[in-house]
Amino acid sequence: MSRLLRPAAAIAAKDLRLFFRDRVGLLLAFLMPAALVLAFGFMMQKAFGGEDGGMARAELWVVDQDGSAASRAFVDDLRGLAMLEVRPAPDDAPLSLEGAEASLRKGRAHHVLVLPRGFGDALAAGELPELRMLRDPGRSLEDTLVTIGLSSAYMGATQGRAWPAMLGRLLEQSGASPEAVRSAVAAAEQTRRLMEAALGRNDGKDAETGRAPEGDGGDDGQDGGSGLDFTAFMRDMVPLEVEDRLPPERAANLSHIVAQSVSGLVVMMLMFGLVRCATTLLRERDSGTLDRLLAAASPRDAVLLGKFLFTAASGLLQLAVLFTFAELVFHVGMFRDPVTLLVLSLSLTAAVTAFGMLIATWARSLEQANGFATLLILVMSAVGGAWFPVQLFDMPLPAEVAMRLTLTHWAMTGYQGMLWNGLGWTSPTLLTSIGVLWAFAVGASLLARRLFHRRVLPA
Amino acid sequence: MLEVCDLSYAYGDHVAVDGMSFTLRRGEALGLLGPNGAGKTTTFSCLAGLRRPRSGELRLEGRTFLPFACDTDRAVLGLVPQEVSLYADLTARENLAFFGRIQGVAPEELDDRIAAALTLAGLEDRADHRIATFSGGMKRRLNLAVATLHQPPILLLDEPTVGVDPHSRHHLFAALERLRDGGASLLYSTHAMEDAQRLCDRIVVLDHGRVLAVGTHEELAAGVGEPGADLETVFLHLTGRSLRDS
Repeated sequence: MSRLLRPAAAIAAKDLRLFFRDRVGLLLAFLMPAALVLAFGFMMQKAFGGEDGGMARAELWVVDQDGSAASRAFVDDLRGLAMLEVRPAPDDAPLSLEGAEASLRKGRAHHVLVLPRGFGDALAAGELPELRMLRDPGRSLEDTLVTIGLSSAYMGATQGRAWPAMLGRLLEQSGASPEAVRSAVAAAEQTRRLMEAALGRNDGKDAETGRAPEGDGGDDGQDGGSGLDFTAFMRDMVPLEVEDRLPPERAANLSHIVAQSVSGLVVMMLMFGLVRCATTLLRERDSGTLDRLLAAASPRDAVLLGKFLFTAASGLLQLAVLFTFAELVFHVGMFRDPVTLLVLSLSLTAAVTAFGMLIATWARSLEQANGFATLLILVMSAVGGAWFPVQLFDMPLPAEVAMRLTLTHWAMTGYQGMLWNGLGWTSPTLLTSIGVLWAFAVGASLLARRLFHRRVLPA
Repeated sequence: MLEVCDLSYAYGDHVAVDGMSFTLRRGEALGLLGPNGAGKTTTFSCLAGLRRPRSGELRLEGRTFLPFACDTDRAVLGLVPQEVSLYADLTARENLAFFGRIQGVAPEELDDRIAAALTLAGLEDRADHRIATFSGGMKRRLNLAVATLHQPPILLLDEPTVGVDPHSRHHLFAALERLRDGGASLLYSTHAMEDAQRLCDRIVVLDHGRVLAVGTHEELAAGVGEPGADLETVFLHLTGRSLRDS
């Protein structure tokens, strides 16, 4: 056995030494993946998860043509909504209609709300001011958020006066008779007045903003200062008792998208890094040193084993560095269960190393290996859920099967199970992932050895 | 010592080595002299265990020699490839240490062997410099020294002086002569007449994968009916004067 292991260890040690001397290689193995994890983590957090790991926010640009105290107060109410990021910022210059349209054309803005002249006057007169929205129709997700946020703020600004009118329109659209519509609207208006009376604010409205005085009934700023929290009202229409259940093993501030993007990018970059390590076999062939190794008095399998050990050692090192980095930057709770992390990482490293060896022994040239590996890794990353949580989508059967055929899927299931669901390595979900990864590692290694003997060793 | 008996090898339909036979004696330098495409490198590959002969037999000290299949059989060989086969980002000492371990040199002997190899290559003062900083001649000298680490009784030298300056060439020849005088058998492939004439005790002239003649320089000259002729004249007489581009 030592006849095999000793030269294999020498090859692995030599390759590690060369690895650490190659500055470009180090950059590709550690710095670039770390930079990508950082960039993607922040981008995804910003785009989908909110900075505090809460709900997503949609950007809403506002053109205030009225410039009244009421319109400014309305914009402030919009700013107070969790789902909206209102532009321009309070300290920035106001936005003109022309500027907003230009931003829409350039794709910088996707929803522009125009508050027309007379907005404040209409509110003060107890009317329902008409608003105008310019939008990019391709942004349906943001459209939903903007609509919800705007409805809530508008209800607040109009003291709920929009409610009877909305109810009337709804009934009209549903085919109700004009008489039924009128009586329903009247009843709704009466209810609204009763509510205002209950809040004691009929006569207390601010003359300029049309809003109730500060501290009068408002409680959390979500209601536009009216005292009527319409966001909460809509949520509470369903008799729902909400209880938070945070797995004790999960970091309290971890958002799903950050856990997803951190583990996804680490898995993808590991595959790129380890293919690069494994293909040192092809570099040795091109430089002539492989012939020298094969002509030596060592078992030829020592060359393959040496490359495997080197690739696996690099992989573990890369995982350790990237997970430490992710923990320091995003506090994802990576080290809360070190045993599970170790078992998962060893399994993934073995599988990805075997994948790299398979590519290296199959390819006829370095260019072929790099091209094919890049294609496979990108496809596996996309299909297997390293970029987006595809496992959460309802997919057609072929796509579901394709997903389960990727290394990425099983790696992601494992890491997401550990980070997000707080599962230990003995849980059925993680044991399945670990089992699949090891099965792949063993199968691909045996196939790589066969290819090594048939395609790499001289005939 | 090493007998090559009716050795053949083909790349698909192209026969590169066609029933080649010769013997390398103990302590001699045997030259393989042939034009491009004569089959020198393929023969070396078969001897070094890098290719499995299609037919024929190799015998070492009277027993069947299977360098392709048997790891321990390769221990008697030291291969000096035609191209410099070293790790450019490792130092000379690190290259020697690595190949010493691969060749199975005992750890307690490794330092002494490395020192001897550095002396052989004339690189004692550059031992801890990276190969990437070496001249072509220095790399060629180290390329030779690496093959001697495990003290093999047979050295296979595939055009080891290609592209080296006169000083390095002189040093390489001196090193090879020392090895031969120390009892090593050298199989030296070249198409440089002066190299073969200077170093080799006997010469095998090859062409189209076949042995055309074997003998000392004088025997070869006499064999073509031109006693006293230089090796180039003998060579051209044996192989003809047509150009060889492959």
